Amino acid sequence: MIVAAAVLLLEVSSGSAAGGASAPPAVPDDTIAIIVNQSNTIDDLSLKDLRTVFLGERSHWPNGRRITLVMMDPGLSERRAVLRDVCRMSETEFSRHFLQGLFTGEVFVSPKTLSTSVGVRKFVFNVPGAIGYLRASDVDSTVKVIKVNGHRPEEADYPLRIEVRASK
Amino acid sequence: MKSHTIAPAECVFTRVGSGWTKRLLPLALAVLASPTCLLAQGVVPAADADKQTIQMLLQRIEKLEARVSQLEGTQGTTAKAQTVSAKIQEAPRPLSGPAASPAEEAATSTTAQAQSSDPEQEMEHLEPERMDMSKTLLRIRGFGDINFRGSNQKGSTNSFALGQLNLFVTSDISERFKFLSEIVFESGPDNFYNVPGGKRNEFGVDVERYLVQYSYNDYFNLAAGRYHTAIGFYNTAYHHSTWFQTTTGRPTLFEFEDSGGILPIHNVGLSASGRIPSGPLGLHYVAEIGNGRQSRSPLTEEPVQNEVDENNFKAVNLAMFARPESIRGLQIGFSGYHDKLMPIALPRIDETILAAHAVYMVPKFEWLNEVVLIRHALDGTSQVFNTPAFYTQIAKRFGSYQPYFRYQYINASDHEPIFPDVRRMEGPSLGLRYDASESVALKVQYDYNVARHQQNYSGLNLQLGFTF
Repeated sequence: MIVAAAVLLLEVSSGSAAGGASAPPAVPDDTIAIIVNQSNTIDDLSLKDLRTVFLGERSHWPNGRRITLVMMDPGLSERRAVLRDVCRMSETEFSRHFLQGLFTGEVFVSPKTLSTSVGVRKFVFNVPGAIGYLRASDVDSTVKVIKVNGHRPEEADYPLRIEVRASK
Repeated sequence: MKSHTIAPAECVFTRVGSGWTKRLLPLALAVLASPTCLLAQGVVPAADADKQTIQMLLQRIEKLEARVSQLEGTQGTTAKAQTVSAKIQEAPRPLSGPAASPAEEAATSTTAQAQSSDPEQEMEHLEPERMDMSKTLLRIRGFGDINFRGSNQKGSTNSFALGQLNLFVTSDISERFKFLSEIVFESGPDNFYNVPGGKRNEFGVDVERYLVQYSYNDYFNLAAGRYHTAIGFYNTAYHHSTWFQTTTGRPTLFEFEDSGGILPIHNVGLSASGRIPSGPLGLHYVAEIGNGRQSRSPLTEEPVQNEVDENNFKAVNLAMFARPESIRGLQIGFSGYHDKLMPIALPRIDETILAAHAVYMVPKFEWLNEVVLIRHALDGTSQVFNTPAFYTQIAKRFGSYQPYFRYQYINASDHEPIFPDVRRMEGPSLGLRYDASESVALKVQYDYNVARHQQNYSGLNLQLGFTF
């Protein structure tokens, strides 16, 4: 108990907000990083603008490049978080939205769907107009992370997070 | 660059860096210490237990420090790999063909061991076809419907009926060019203003849309070919897919030309569209020029002028609509269409079609309202024929069920020179859509029709609509 209390004190003094030593370990609060190609000049998008991009309502970046959206496979937690927080749609609604957009011609290109974070990174690295998402912990220097609503993924006010469930 | 040499359980340290490592270390120790401490208290006196625990913790700290040093070394290697990767990015790379993975290239520059041991890299080798953006792929999506319908209208029989089989074909020709078409197989005779053409029960093929689209930016897109005229909302929202539509069929106002429709649903020519910089108002425009609709009366053949226009006048259509950001799902717009028609044995006719719509569509609710005025003015005379028409449709979704109601109205003069058979017709429709799966919808719809100079009649339609 003494050791535990000492460790708790140490933890508090180091400025960590991780909670007491007796608290159950929480699942890491992974954020969703929005990534673009390194050549993309965009640094920041509002959640509203991000939504128009992810719903295919914007087809080009300001530099003229066509936007290519990369989504992860249905069922993955990253995709669920993006559908919930960015698109505000269910899986079915999202599929139907894009199908109808392509059908009417308003959406110029359908999203690419990839199953792994490596695949997403690789795609965004290779395609200048690509935009996708990853867990922040899966990001590397081959892609560029953009701010959302002016916040970077490591900041507290960053709006895109995978739902956290406390472990028992 | 991700490290490829560490076990998954250790990733948390390498990902967050040395600063986090220092902060997480005591936390990890605390977690480890608590159960150990409690266990010890039950066996030996408290002071001895604390000494033993401290000793054990010191040993663990030593081990962890050694491990941290090892991981920091790995991070150094990773940092070098990132530098290599950054250099790869700076070098010009071809846009065509499957590009080598940066992870692969960086890993090649670091250790062969990392390459062979990482399952993620093996995964990369399994999906090369997804990275090939250069190939022009033909994508086909299908829509279809099968019906059973009955009516108490004179001369009609209860029948199973095959609806349109629609192959929606698209292809990305290049970054800015795209091909789009709807190839529709449909049975039954065409019907141009109550003049049947073709054989009953025989299948025919129509290329309903045939477009090459050029996308310059969000503000300017150009399409050439055969398109659906941007009159109102319905015509460009549902095209030839009954599965997309809530109801079993289009409003009479927007019936296709070969089903007796009164509007120039299709056109062959050019169509420009895009956003208008308007901030939260979300304004869009559509500007079209094409051959327009054939006007010889009576019509017994294809009314869409796919190849030859009957005159040198071109049909023009201008449409504008707003999708306000503040009310997502709302679209309000209007359009103006103009063409010159040259029916046989009649003076040239000036055709003007004005349309307005207010539509609110969200996944759980829809309310469509459209009104159209078709004006035919005979050249050299004072004769003008105005045909007003509207429909309103409302639907609410309850899970997989979507009950709906529609009321429609068309009022054409008995002497209307272009569509003399239409006259006045109006009536309600009531129906229920049930989405049996994401791709299959079952619908049942009851229609009641009131028509001038005709007996009122009602009909029931069961429909299986699907996409594949």
